[in-house]
Amino acid sequence: MTRERFIELIRTEQEPLRRFLLGLCSGNQSLADDIAQDALVRAYVASGSFLGLSKFSTWLYRIAYNCFIDHCRKATLDTLSSDSYEAQSVLSDDTTDNEFRYQQLYQALDRIPDKERAAIVLHYFEDHDIKEISSIMQIPTGTVKYLLSIGRNHLKEYLSI
Amino acid sequence: MNGKDNIEEFLRSNKPQLKDDPTFLLETNRRLKQVEGIKAEVDRQRSNSRIALIVALAIGILLGATIVFIGYICPFDLNNLSDSAFAGVILFLTTWKEFFLILAAALSVSLSYILSRTRKAEF
Repeated sequence: MTRERFIELIRTEQEPLRRFLLGLCSGNQSLADDIAQDALVRAYVASGSFLGLSKFSTWLYRIAYNCFIDHCRKATLDTLSSDSYEAQSVLSDDTTDNEFRYQQLYQALDRIPDKERAAIVLHYFEDHDIKEISSIMQIPTGTVKYLLSIGRNHLKEYLSI
Repeated sequence: MNGKDNIEEFLRSNKPQLKDDPTFLLETNRRLKQVEGIKAEVDRQRSNSRIALIVALAIGILLGATIVFIGYICPFDLNNLSDSAFAGVILFLTTWKEFFLILAAALSVSLSYILSRTRKAEF
C-alpha cells in the first residue's frame, strides 16, 4: 500500500481513532495523539499484512488498542495517572458545566481497569457493537459483555449516578 | 429509568470532545515518510544480501563441479598419500562423513528456524 493511499484511508478514520484513545487515556490528548501516531506508523508498516478479513477501521482500532496496552506496560501507573490529572486540571480552568462533567467522567474512567475502560469507550463513545469490540480487543463476546457490565457498575459508583 | 439506563445515557451524551488539530495528519505524513526511507534501506540491504547469497551458491556449485571434474580427469590413489597429513585429513573425513552430514543438516535446520523467527519478529 502506498503512503498516499494509506493517508487517504486514515483521513476519515483518524478522528474516531483519536477520540477512542482520548477516552482510553482519560482525557490526556497529547498522550492520546502520541499513541495514535505510533499506531498509524505501525499500521502502515504492517499494511501489507492487512488481508481485508475485517474492516479497515476494526484493524486500525486493534493496532491502536495494542499500542495503548504496550504504552501502559512501559509507563509506570503513577506517571500515567499524574499525566492524565494534569490534563484534566487544564480542562477544568473554565468552570462551565460541560467542563466539569468531562473532568468527572475522565477521573472516573481513569479509576477503572484498562480493559473495562476500552470496552466502555468502544461501546458508548464509538458506538461499536459487541462483536466488533470482541474483534478489536481479541477476547470472547461473553467477556466483552462482562467487562461492560462491571465497567458500568464501577462508573456508576464513581460518578454517583 | 433504572441505574443502567442512567449511566448509558450519561456516557452516550458525554462523548469525549477532540480539540481540532490540523497538524495531526501532517505530522503523520512526516513520520510515514521517515518510515518509508527506513523500509527502502532495509529492502535494499535485504536485496543485496540475497544477491550475495545467490553468488555464493553459484560459486560453491561451480567450485564443487570443477573439483569433481578434476577428480575424474586426474584420479589419485589414497594409498600413495598414506604418509602425508593431507591423506590423514581425507581419511578422517571419509570415516566420519555420516557425522558431518548429520551436523550440516542440523545446522541448516537451526539456521532456517532462526531466520524464520527473525523475519516474523520484524512485523
